[in-house]
Order: sequence, then structure tokens, then C-alpha cells
Amino acid sequence: MRLQLLGRRALLLLPVGFVTLLLLLPLGFMVVVSFWKRSLLKLVPAFELSHYVDFLTGPRLTVLGRSFLIAIEATMICLVIAYPIAYYLARHARPSAARLVLLLFTIPFLVNYVIRAFSWTYLLGRTGAINNSLIKIGVVSGPVDWLLYSDFAVLVGMISSYMPFMIFPLWISIAGIDHRLGEASAMLGARPLTTFLHVTLPLSMPGVCAAIIFAFVGCFGESAVPIILGGVGYQLIGNEITSTLDVLNYPLAAAMSSIVTAAMLALLAIWYVAFDLRSFLGKILAWRLQ
Amino acid sequence: MSWRSGLVWSTIGAVLAGLYLPLVPPLFFSLMPETPAEPAPTLRWYLEMWRNPLLTGAVVTSVEAAVMVALVTPLLALLAAISIRELKMPRLILGLMLLPLLVPGVSTGLAAAFFFKQIGIAPSLGTIVVVQILWALPFALLVVLTAMSTFDPVLTEAAHMSGAGRWRAFRDIELPLIWPGASGAATFSFILSFNETTRTALVQGPLNTVQTYIWSTYKQIGLSPTLYALMTLLILLTVGLSAIAVALRRQ
Repeated sequence: MRLQLLGRRALLLLPVGFVTLLLLLPLGFMVVVSFWKRSLLKLVPAFELSHYVDFLTGPRLTVLGRSFLIAIEATMICLVIAYPIAYYLARHARPSAARLVLLLFTIPFLVNYVIRAFSWTYLLGRTGAINNSLIKIGVVSGPVDWLLYSDFAVLVGMISSYMPFMIFPLWISIAGIDHRLGEASAMLGARPLTTFLHVTLPLSMPGVCAAIIFAFVGCFGESAVPIILGGVGYQLIGNEITSTLDVLNYPLAAAMSSIVTAAMLALLAIWYVAFDLRSFLGKILAWRLQ
Repeated sequence: MSWRSGLVWSTIGAVLAGLYLPLVPPLFFSLMPETPAEPAPTLRWYLEMWRNPLLTGAVVTSVEAAVMVALVTPLLALLAAISIRELKMPRLILGLMLLPLLVPGVSTGLAAAFFFKQIGIAPSLGTIVVVQILWALPFALLVVLTAMSTFDPVLTEAAHMSGAGRWRAFRDIELPLIWPGASGAATFSFILSFNETTRTALVQGPLNTVQTYIWSTYKQIGLSPTLYALMTLLILLTVGLSAIAVALRRQ
């Protein structure tokens, strides 16, 4: 009986063990590697800060800053699009219609974003579908150049990659809010906008944070979209890391990657402290909220 | 329908159209002949791509990896969901399970590559499967948790009262009811595995999956009609599988 209990416990801890051993431990090891020395093609254990110094004093720091800004811009635009959709689906749409629309948002998210980025290079190009339509309806007289190989194109690629999935945590948290709270607010004389700002929005914050973190992490670490849609020489931290790998500077890649990961974990820590992780899951975890 | 909800629905429709738009161009390019002299839509690229051993090898690797990911991930997700419900520190466990979503793909892949090299595991199908499971696990967990939330714990209590042990109650009562969730998680994991590029590329060694094949061919020679044909098939497969999964759930 004891043995059975022990076996059960071990089985239940399997997923925790999996993530700890194959994600947490490797991430920790990556931080260690970032201090190692490079001698010819080999890595030698050492404690060198030179890669961090390289990174923080060189032009790569600007790349980090720009990645940060682009990721924030993309995330905010995603949120502005996703929140109203999630709100409408949770509050005003029939449940069956809401489920169908949520599903329709999932499917393009599942198609590899590299493939979708290739399509965008055609759609946004000088002779692409969008320029052609703009010229045809007479909005512009010649092709618009800044659509492709620009911040704009990178933003389009990121938003279409991460916005669809943001709708889920938002929808879950908005749908989980008790209707009667809004009604009470209305009965007390609040206008719809006041009710939204003082009741609905604060109560949906766990979902908003989950959505923001999900999109921000994705956009910040993005490595393929800047290469495909940013054009030659367009550097964000994600493809900076992969190009450092291409020249075999592993410790520097590890250092950059450690900085990025640390930034993300800091975000996660803030989230963890500010909200109960389970609260954005609302109804899903209703059976175990205590 | 009021004009307001009409406006909202057409906005949602426009956003969806924008998301589905990139799924169309590969189809057009895959039907283009090599020279304008040839008859216009041609299916030759769809036939020609199978003559490339690199690509067929990549297809095999992709399918193998996706099947393994689809088998293991839902199981881990199910165990994780139960451990969140039954063990102490559910918050910590949930946080840990969602962690792969919060670490950029490049970092996950890079860390795994260093780690495997250090402990002497050569890049192989196994290493590919590991990073893809990490990527699919949070999504699978969310799907399983959603299914479990619709399960009424009273049923388990009833089973206990009728003399069923913990395992029996789980196997005979709860598992059949949350099974659709588990199979949904399997489909989801399969699709996520099949569409993963960044993490896989860093731990694949000499192997290639379909996605990393597309990525490395793009970086070395650029896009070709054959590559577009491959992309079209992948888009159709993803959309088709999703549709099947939905249809099965409706039943």
C-alpha cells in the first residue's frame, strides 16, 4: 500500500520532473555556458564576464532596445485588437457562435508562422496583392515602399502570429466575471463605460496580463519574422542570437539568450506575485481555487 | 441584428480575413509553371518534390516526431492536471507547466542544445521530440484542464461510495468523460509539433523536419515552386486536421 502510494506520487510528479530536468536545468546550464571561454572550436569552463561586457557595450545593446520597443508596440496593438473581440464574444455573442469564432482564430495560429511570413512578403511587396489593390482603388498612384522590409512588415508578422492566441486568456477571464456585478453597477447608476472601467476591466486583468506576457515573450524572442519581413540587416535580439550561433560564438549566444530569458522570468515573477496564476484560468480551474 | 452588432461582426470578419489571407498565396505560387510557355496551372511541383530524398526524409522525421509528441504530451498533460488538483502547491506546478510558453523559442532550443551536448546525448529524433513536447505541453495542459473543469467531482464521490478505489473511480468514471479533452490535446500536440521550427532547428543535428527543411532551403537558396507546393500541403494538412478534430468533438 505504501509502495503503491509512492508509485502514484512518482507518476504524478513526472510532468514536473520533465520540465525541471529538460527546461529549467538546461536554462541554468546555459547561464553557466555564458561565462565560459572560447578557445578555438572548444568551450572551456571559466568565469568570464567578457561576453556580457561585449554585449552591453557593443552595438548589440541597441538591438536589445529596439527588440524591446517593437515587442511592446506589437503587444499593445495585439491587445487593442484582441480585447474588444474577446469582450464581445464573452458578453454578447451566443456561446455556440463564440466557440466557432474562437476556433476560427486558432487555425491560422497553428499554421507555421514562417510559412505565413513568406506569404506576407508577397502580400506586402511592391507588386503584391495589397499594393495592387491600393493602386486599383486609387488610394495611391504608385506602389507603397514601406509595406515590406520595414518595422511595419515585422509588426504585421508578429501581430498575425501572436494576436489570435491572446483572445483565449482574455475570453476566459471576461467570461468568468459574474454578470451580476455589472448589473449592480448599472443599478447604482453607472454608465456602461464607467462600469467597464471600474468593474469589468479590473476583474479581467489576470487575463490581460496572461495575454500580454504570452504575446510579449513571443514577439521579443522572435527570430524568423525579422529575417523574413525585416529584410537584409534588420536585427532583433532573436535573430541576433541565431546569427551569433552561425559564427559559432556559443558563449556570446548563451549570454544574450540568458539576458532575454532573465527578462522574461522577471516578467513571470511579477505576474506570479501580482496575480494568482490560476485566476486567469477562471472557470477552468474552478474546482481547485482554494 | 442591430447595426451595432452587424458592425462588430464585420470587424471580427475583417480581422479573421486578415489572419487567413497568408494561407492563400503559397497555393498560387505552387501552381505556377517554370516558364510562361507551359500551360498555366500545373501540378508538376507536387509530383517533383517527392523525388528529393532530403525532403522525403524530412517528412518521415516530421511524422515520427509528431506521432511521438502526440502520444506523450497528452499523457504528461493529464498527469500534470491531476497533480495540480491533488498535490500541494498547485500554483507552483501550474507555473512550471506554463513556463515553456514564457521562454522564447530560441532560448529553449539553445539551452537544450548545450545541455544535451554536455551530457553526451547526440542530436536525434529523441532530442527533437523533447523540445517539441516542451512547446506543446502548456497548450495540451490547457485543453485537458478545460475538459476536466466540466467534470463533476460528485461522480467520483459516488464511485467511492459504491466501493470503487481511487484508480478505479478515475479509470471508469472520470477518464471516459475527459477523454475527448485528451484526444483534443493529442491532435493539438501533433499539429504544434508538425509546425515547430525555431526549437527544432537547434537540436536536430543532421536530421531535418519538414519545417526546418523549408527554413534552411529558404536561407540557402530561397523560395521555389516546390517549396510553395510543400507549404500548401502543410497548410492543407493543418487546416484539415483541425477541422477533423472539431468534427470529432461535435459528435
